[in-house]
Amino acid sequence: MSDGPLIVQSDKTLLLDIDHVLSDECRRAIAAFAELEKSPEHIHTYRLTPLGLWNARASGHDAEQVIDVLIKYSRYAVPHSLLVDIAETMSRYGRLRLEAHPVHGLILVSNDAAVLKEVTRGKKVAPMLGLQLDDETIVVHPGQRGFLKQALLKLGWPAEDFAGYVDGEHHEIALNQDGWKIRKYQELAAEGFWHGGSGVVVLPCGAGKTIVGAAAMAHAKATTLILVTNTVAARQWREELLKRTDLNADDIGEYSGAKKEIRPVTIATYQVMTTRKKGVYAHLDLFDAIDWGLIIYDEVHLLPAPIFRFTADIQSRRRLGLTATLVREDGMEGEVFSLIGPKRFDVPWKEIEAQGYIAPADCVEVRITLTDAERLNYATAEQEDRYRFCATSQTKKDVAIALAKQHANDQVLVIGQYLDQLDQLSNELGVPVIKGDTPIKERERLFALFRSGEIKCLVVSKVANFSIDLPEATIAIQVSGTFGSRQEEAQRLGRILRPKADGRGARFYSLVARDTVDQDFAQNRQRFLAEQGYAYRIIDADEVLNKN
Amino acid sequence: MSKLAITFADELRARSDDDLAALFKLRPDLVTPVPNDFTALAARATSTPSLVRALDSLNLWHYQIIEAACVLAEPFKKSEIVSITSQESNFALDYLWQMGLLYKEGNNFRTPVNLKLLIGDEPIGLGPELGSKVDFSKLKDVPKSSAEVLSKLIWGPPRGQISNIKKPGTAIGWLLENNILVALDSNTVALPREYAIKLRGDKVHKELSSKPIKLTGKTVTQKQADLAAIANISTILRWCEEFLHNLSDEPPTALRTGGIGVRELKRIAEHLGVEENCVGFIAELCYLAGLVVIDPDDQILPTSSFDIWLSKPSEERWYSLVVLWLDTSRVSGLIGRGPDKNIAPLGPELDRAGASLIKRTTLKILFENLEVSPEIPSIKEIVKWWNPQRFNGDFVDWSLREAEWLGITGQGALSTFGQNLLLSKEELGIESALPNPVDHILIQADNSAVAPGPLTAEISSEMGTIADIESRGGATVYRFSEASIRRGLDHGKTGDQIKTFLTKTSKTPMPQPLEYLITDVAKRHGKLRVGSAHAYIRCEDEGLIQQILHDKKCEHLRLRRIAPQVLATDFELPEVITELREYGYLPAAENASGILLSQPNLRRAKSRPKPPRIIAEFSAPKESVIASAVKTIRAGERSRKVEPIVPGTSSNETLALINQYINNQQTIAISYADNNGGVINRIIEPISISLGTLTAKDEASGEITQFRIPRINGVAPAFTISQNKADLDL
Repeated sequence: MSDGPLIVQSDKTLLLDIDHVLSDECRRAIAAFAELEKSPEHIHTYRLTPLGLWNARASGHDAEQVIDVLIKYSRYAVPHSLLVDIAETMSRYGRLRLEAHPVHGLILVSNDAAVLKEVTRGKKVAPMLGLQLDDETIVVHPGQRGFLKQALLKLGWPAEDFAGYVDGEHHEIALNQDGWKIRKYQELAAEGFWHGGSGVVVLPCGAGKTIVGAAAMAHAKATTLILVTNTVAARQWREELLKRTDLNADDIGEYSGAKKEIRPVTIATYQVMTTRKKGVYAHLDLFDAIDWGLIIYDEVHLLPAPIFRFTADIQSRRRLGLTATLVREDGMEGEVFSLIGPKRFDVPWKEIEAQGYIAPADCVEVRITLTDAERLNYATAEQEDRYRFCATSQTKKDVAIALAKQHANDQVLVIGQYLDQLDQLSNELGVPVIKGDTPIKERERLFALFRSGEIKCLVVSKVANFSIDLPEATIAIQVSGTFGSRQEEAQRLGRILRPKADGRGARFYSLVARDTVDQDFAQNRQRFLAEQGYAYRIIDADEVLNKN
Repeated sequence: MSKLAITFADELRARSDDDLAALFKLRPDLVTPVPNDFTALAARATSTPSLVRALDSLNLWHYQIIEAACVLAEPFKKSEIVSITSQESNFALDYLWQMGLLYKEGNNFRTPVNLKLLIGDEPIGLGPELGSKVDFSKLKDVPKSSAEVLSKLIWGPPRGQISNIKKPGTAIGWLLENNILVALDSNTVALPREYAIKLRGDKVHKELSSKPIKLTGKTVTQKQADLAAIANISTILRWCEEFLHNLSDEPPTALRTGGIGVRELKRIAEHLGVEENCVGFIAELCYLAGLVVIDPDDQILPTSSFDIWLSKPSEERWYSLVVLWLDTSRVSGLIGRGPDKNIAPLGPELDRAGASLIKRTTLKILFENLEVSPEIPSIKEIVKWWNPQRFNGDFVDWSLREAEWLGITGQGALSTFGQNLLLSKEELGIESALPNPVDHILIQADNSAVAPGPLTAEISSEMGTIADIESRGGATVYRFSEASIRRGLDHGKTGDQIKTFLTKTSKTPMPQPLEYLITDVAKRHGKLRVGSAHAYIRCEDEGLIQQILHDKKCEHLRLRRIAPQVLATDFELPEVITELREYGYLPAAENASGILLSQPNLRRAKSRPKPPRIIAEFSAPKESVIASAVKTIRAGERSRKVEPIVPGTSSNETLALINQYINNQQTIAISYADNNGGVINRIIEPISISLGTLTAKDEASGEITQFRIPRINGVAPAFTISQNKADLDL
């Protein structure tokens, strides 16, 4: 029995002891086939999934290698049944192949007639298939490539896709590394994506995902469609691309509520893509407007349902998904993987932090005790109003204001969910507020003032949850949120993770009313970050108030 | 022949003590219980159950020889058997004689009565005997079309259907004409035995197997096998433990027919993360060991033996399960099968004779082929050679599957532990091969804790009460939550005790959120107190009382505020507690003097363990038992010799002998029990048998008299009586 760093569990999770001397070596070895599930301080959890194993096959690893790695690094004997299971799962990959046929277009091919028979009898699969050419070949209806792959995956017979990608219209794009240099992990992520064809890159907030996108474009050297969450983010992308690549302003178009430009590189918002006129998605034609060589989905965890459906139709184009937090409370992570592509790159947040590319963060949960009157009101409130009641209590507001005042010299964001609460805070602190109804121009002006340091504190609603680049923000005070959303918590922390010019750390305050549903939601919200190794510190509101 | 056939009992009587001992060793059922005398012994040895058991224990080679013996006319010579089988059959005959499946008449052999019945009318696919002299010369002239017909009948079945015997085709017609085929009825023809043997080249079997084939399979080194086996052993022990804990948490109700229902099985399978058939096996294993029982109120619960079992070292725990598995006749592979696919674990339908025999044979083959992971068809064929009569391919599959689950094999090859088990060694070597238990955990910021190895029993049980298990295997991952901490507090621990335990046990510092969690829950835990009988709720916190009183969900409890800090209800205590908990409160029960009642959560059955009866093969008796059996039978025989004029015969023999004498029209002596219970000897001339009655002419009275067969104690040819009388000097 070796004394390895890895413990193989019967539920197919792998526990990696990161304090072990071999942990780095082992991590590299298992990353090829296991998915990182969480990475707290001492033991990281990876999971063996069929998808992960098939991806390993796709990138040239065979079952024997996988089993060797497990046996080599495992601390205890690995159950034989698990090894058999791995071998069996991996042997399923590649029995079916999708190929391009000069006459029939796309065809499904297999040397194993029985498997072909089995899948063609599947209720979901059958309608996507056309004429059977011979025992081993069936024509696939045009446009079904994505759906078919998804359906086959569900049946447990993943198809190896040899049909290739269209190159798209050529457009010369190169990185312009003047005065900056692409980071090692960004380069690895872009290469990992390019090598895999399509897929998702997971990097922490503030770790420079835009640059990974730019590097991917430089690989593709083709017209690119970039889908982002909102107009402000679209403009940030534009600026970043102008700065990081040799593209000039005329090459980049914005396709949003305000403008409808189509250029070799077009940045569109999810909102405009999903706008309906008379029940029809009026702007989905954008996908076909140019022979795109690459489609980038920013914040892919937010991908709305219509885009999902449309994405299935464009499986011959390369797709890159970018996100920091691939957790969805609706459990649709699997759809992202099967339509955009598998996870191509993932790295623990704390590792990027250790390399100095994101600011170290101190997460603090401030426990607020409601006054007796408030508690009584809370107790008698209707169930559906309870969260709003405890999240917007007067006591909480007092603590938020006290905290903001303590950090008068720092760049502070006060983030919340409820607009009247935000308005009150804005009034009492005497600082501007940005909400959904704030015009884009006004938003951009305020963000610019904040970046330059002219405004020290901003009150923002959830419009600032994502993609807003505020490098010098060091303090975030969260007063309320979308119930128990894990990714919102992580994204909000992300707003203050850009490395600071003076190397300061960031601090994230989350204000939680004690003994209420607020506390339960907070526990769920914090889980993603806790699993990434961010240990919350709990302080009592009195500590804050007494300081003033 | 000067004498008529001697009986089987006579022959047994003549065997030496050593030969008898050998017989008893091969057929232990003959001395369980010890028969009174040789007549009783012969009766038992020729009874159908005993003969079936003996035939079942034969390997293919011995069975083939017995089949051949049944083909020959009796008595037959050794050379006759050799000529229709092979030279090697010499040794087999000795063995079969030793087993009492053949007995000697001078230098010749006979088969005991009933044996031929069990082998069947058409042994080895051979048809009826012609009996008369057979002229084989015609076989040379068989036309081609007729030869084709013959070739279909040679190796059996020997009968063929034709549409009308009066209009056979030319091919069959020719054969019928020349008596090479005989007509059995208007649609059936048969190939007589004599012709078939001739056509088989004066042999009877197509293929004789004097040895099993060689096992084929993949080579697995002993080390690999042991590594895999030890992983399996720790897994099966964990499964059993987890299964029983789960029963304790959510006891399923037994089906009306007994056993665990499909839905429950699925639920547990999901909980354990294994296939349903594996859960069925685990359930049966625990049932065998008396760790689980169906309570009189139909709840399936772990027994108190479970607690004792838990406290034992791993090796003992494993042994206690495996040793019963070896011998059980219950076949857990059958679970979910049957006509309605509803055979249930712990149910009454799982017993199968021969299951443990096939299991033992399978393991024996593995033992003889160490470091081999067998190919299934190959091992099946060998098992079939050893137990041609009892063979069941499914049993082999299941035995192998279960042996792997149990860690008797690893990667298909017999592990060292399995070998030690089969050799009945004291030390199986499991304890030292299992990973050393660890005595610490690592707590992480996400409120999880990892035990990086098997925990010592004490820490494991402590962790089990204050945290939920999230993942199992080499390590255990625990998660702390409000509910799990509450459970710990319910077990009577205080928040400080939990914190102290965790600080002491964890190698990593305790994260602050966890500390808060424990403090918070402990602070709230027991804040609410609920009295017994018609329950009350009291709380020093008036706000909380107010909250409950206004909680719409609690309305149906009809709470009354009897003091600023106390609420009362007409509902029973447990109901109130459950409801309140469901609504997110943390009440605790208290007794009359205000002391907190802790609620242990471990449920155990009230019944005593009732493991299923093991219906196993007779095990070989000890030498001393055999010796005393021989002695007892001899003694019984001597006491019988007081009135030995007519030797006792068993009822089977009686019938067979009388039939023989009727055919030979011979005068015989019988010993007959009269209406008064006295036994008298009569000399009679048997005439016929019908309806259990022998009609015969009584020599003494000269009248035709009827004798009830069951009252006939012994039969002998008349002339032997006078000899016996002379022997005894009467």
